[in-house]
Amino acid sequence: MASEGAMANQYSVLEELGSGSFGTVYKAIDRATGEVVAIKHIDLESSEDDILEIQQEISVLSTCASPFVTQYKASFLRGHKLWIVMEYLGGGSCLDLLKPGVFNEAHIAIICRELLLGLEYLHQEGKIHRDVKAANVLLSSTGKVKLADFGVAAQLTNIKSQRNTFVGTPFWMAPEVIQQEGYDYKADIWSLGITAMELANGEPPNAAIHPMKVLFHIPKQPAPRLEGSKFSKDFKDFIAQCLIKDSDRRASAKELLKHRFVRSAGKVEALQELIERKQEWEGGRTRPSHPRFYEETLDTLSPKTEPDGWVFDTVKAATIAPRKSTTKRRKLSVIHANGQDVHAGPEEAMKRLDLKDSPLEYSSSPPLTVKKSTMRKQPSIMELASPTKTRQPSVQKKPLQPDLTFGNTGSTVRLFRRVSDNSTLAQVDSDVSSTSITRDENRPPMSETVSKEAVLGRRVFNKVVDPAFQEIHAQTGNQAKREALSRLADAWSALDAIDPEGEYQLIKAMIEKVQGDSKLSALLSPAKASSRDGTPQASPQKSPTKLVLAQNNPHLKSHRRRQSSMLPEAEKERLSNLPGQAVTGMEHTKQLADVLYGRWADGLRNRWPAV
Amino acid sequence: MSFLFGRRPRASTVDLPKQAKELMVKLDGPVGTTKAEELAKTLSQMKLVLQGTQEIESSPEQVYALVTGLIQEDLLYLLAVNLWRLPFESRKDAQVIFSYVLRFRPHTASPKSEPLALSYVINNRPEVLVELCNGYDHKESATPAGTVLREVLKSDTAAAILLYDDPSDAGPGPKGISGINPELKQSGNGVFWKFFKWIDQGSFEVSADAFTTFRELLTRHKQLVAQYLSTNFDLFFDKYNNILVKSESYVTKRQSIKLLGEILLDRANYTVMTAYVDRGEHLKICMNLLRDERKMVQYEGFHVFKVFVANPHKSIAVQKILLINRERLLTFLKHFLEDRTEDEQFIDEREFLIKQIKNMPPAPVEPTQKPALLGSQSR
Repeated sequence: MASEGAMANQYSVLEELGSGSFGTVYKAIDRATGEVVAIKHIDLESSEDDILEIQQEISVLSTCASPFVTQYKASFLRGHKLWIVMEYLGGGSCLDLLKPGVFNEAHIAIICRELLLGLEYLHQEGKIHRDVKAANVLLSSTGKVKLADFGVAAQLTNIKSQRNTFVGTPFWMAPEVIQQEGYDYKADIWSLGITAMELANGEPPNAAIHPMKVLFHIPKQPAPRLEGSKFSKDFKDFIAQCLIKDSDRRASAKELLKHRFVRSAGKVEALQELIERKQEWEGGRTRPSHPRFYEETLDTLSPKTEPDGWVFDTVKAATIAPRKSTTKRRKLSVIHANGQDVHAGPEEAMKRLDLKDSPLEYSSSPPLTVKKSTMRKQPSIMELASPTKTRQPSVQKKPLQPDLTFGNTGSTVRLFRRVSDNSTLAQVDSDVSSTSITRDENRPPMSETVSKEAVLGRRVFNKVVDPAFQEIHAQTGNQAKREALSRLADAWSALDAIDPEGEYQLIKAMIEKVQGDSKLSALLSPAKASSRDGTPQASPQKSPTKLVLAQNNPHLKSHRRRQSSMLPEAEKERLSNLPGQAVTGMEHTKQLADVLYGRWADGLRNRWPAV
Repeated sequence: MSFLFGRRPRASTVDLPKQAKELMVKLDGPVGTTKAEELAKTLSQMKLVLQGTQEIESSPEQVYALVTGLIQEDLLYLLAVNLWRLPFESRKDAQVIFSYVLRFRPHTASPKSEPLALSYVINNRPEVLVELCNGYDHKESATPAGTVLREVLKSDTAAAILLYDDPSDAGPGPKGISGINPELKQSGNGVFWKFFKWIDQGSFEVSADAFTTFRELLTRHKQLVAQYLSTNFDLFFDKYNNILVKSESYVTKRQSIKLLGEILLDRANYTVMTAYVDRGEHLKICMNLLRDERKMVQYEGFHVFKVFVANPHKSIAVQKILLINRERLLTFLKHFLEDRTEDEQFIDEREFLIKQIKNMPPAPVEPTQKPALLGSQSR
């Protein structure tokens, strides 16, 4: 695979064109031919089980050869990034072109015809796009219309087979997809109808409704219709043909190509007007921002060679392996630690580790300088904010995943994929550096950095509330209950948008109330003596004695995590001081852990029957 | 039943395989390009006969005629060999033809019987399957060949043909299913062993597709594979560890560690697993994975490492390595991938390993149970 890395050098990468849910797209030039291409960079390290799925996308793309589908060129690996090279389409997406205003009917008719030709091609190839929407319709600079983004496309082995997977973007999803009853290529026709309405109105039907809610709306309500006297009868009828809820009665791409609305459509060159309009519109505005240029990151260039840490027969220097973000972690620990000696511990331990790992003989016993657990790495906020998943695909559990993060625009629901919200990171970082080291916890939270509460509030939402809603929602079968739940989720996300600080205070108050009630706290609280003062920011109403005690006696603050018993006191101190620790909802009780151990050990025992 | 369908097989349908064969052998000739175009048309016609269109159902009569014609003319073999030379659309057509033909059962046959053409291939023309694998020699044919292979590999006999193909003994080419002796060690020259090369050296597309097929071969038919791995333990894991786990390619490395974990933890492979975790060499490879700078490699490595530690009958060699590194391991594991706060299974397993390592006796103890002897391993 040595030649693989060299393939990257064949392209000079220019500015960023945009970033999707699992990668960033750059404009680039093929050095050999001078051809302009688009390259999607996918960081495989950030995805758990996706490799197969990305392969799937590539195999769908690479078997498409149609003037109505974005042309795939190549794909190769560079370190842990996958580069997918595609044809470059200079006109941008229809969603971008909608920014200056809605399209007129003549333009829409041309786009619809071209999309139908693209869908006709895909469908006869046994492919379903499953995510047709304005954002995925790209225009070349000459006005050619192409279907793009096959991230969730399906390849059927049999022309008659059906799919059940819940993928797509809520507003554009056909009712049969939402109901997971089994669907075929007709689902794309529905999405095309919605897309046509999007082009005519600037947004898909039901855009005002929360994407989570729209999923219940679409199967229940009558199909949307195009309304208004400005639209022709043909256009309205075309939409009506696309949006027939019974997919068996819905027209196919081939049939729709005979519809009067598209038969009388003009040439694609007319679409250049849309591109020019967009350019003028942009010219009239201040340049939004500097183009972001591609920067080679160190880890994509060549893997860092770190000395091995284990002692086998061969002798090598050793270090503690994952050290990439130690500075950041240290910074955090400095801020949240209460006593001076506390953070000296890990630093020193780190130094000692670096120094002491001298070569050893295979048979000699290691020196005892490495004190276990002198250093506890805190997960940085950044890492915590990026979602981690269990080994089981979380799809079925959370079918509604990306919706809340995206508000009304609605993003594609993909299996296994989730977008991390990076926006909070910057806030955290800047906040951390601006906070004084000698911060006093006794001060009421509102008088200190306000944004900290907001950040925590956001965190509460992203880590606790949102996942909890999704989980419970997925477990709720009853339609009415689901709806009630989604209304509550809606309201909560509104609170999160407007007042994350209040959100944080709310959850804090809730936790305190739970802990105040002996029965509830026994049932719900993590670990035995679950922290009477688990939250890092002591609330003002708490008695100062308690706080003093908490400060001086880390045992009181220790909570959750079975291994806490093995940590030295300093560790506990810092653990409990990490923002959001108490509210992450990730704590599980000792009993639960024991059950899980037991189960796992049982599994092992079955393997080794002699135990 | 034929009167129900009304249509007699058209003469042209019967002729299609013959036509295709004649064109195929002329691909190298002076008029190769025009022959390729004609061949493309013929293949596309075949595809239509087989799958029908969205509007018109295919006729079982015609399909039957075509399938028997393809067998008679030995066209499946020719198609497999020449797949990479076909034009873009024809490769896709060929893939569809293979899929339909190898799935086809006459409507009189029981739905549980082996499809007609597949049974023919397995018993009389196993070279077709081998040549489909050789499709990985070329970027052009990798995806269509791989897609067909993965469908075919649902049959355990087809999987056995590929696993036990061994051209070195008794003449060229694979023997039919009857010629397989599972007790006999493989020479490593059979088509299965080429997968290591395709996965390691192919371009991303070839490598990724070959790995998917490789994985299917090794996970689908449990008993078959358990027997195979027991017999060929040394050869297999030597190649697996040195070529795949140590691969330069991130994807190959990560996926093969994951697959290794799955193979070892499969109940059917119990014997193979005990033999695997008995060796200190294997543990070393695995412990180095824990220190890889890429988190997902560490994570996948962990799922192999846990098997060594959880083994209650650790060999002396394994105990030694763990004991020498005990304090390091304890420190290391405590902080290992600690941002995985939501992965409860992982956290539990990590804690379990810490406990196990902590409770190890200070000096290696002779295990009370040796790993079960591998099939034909002469120890």
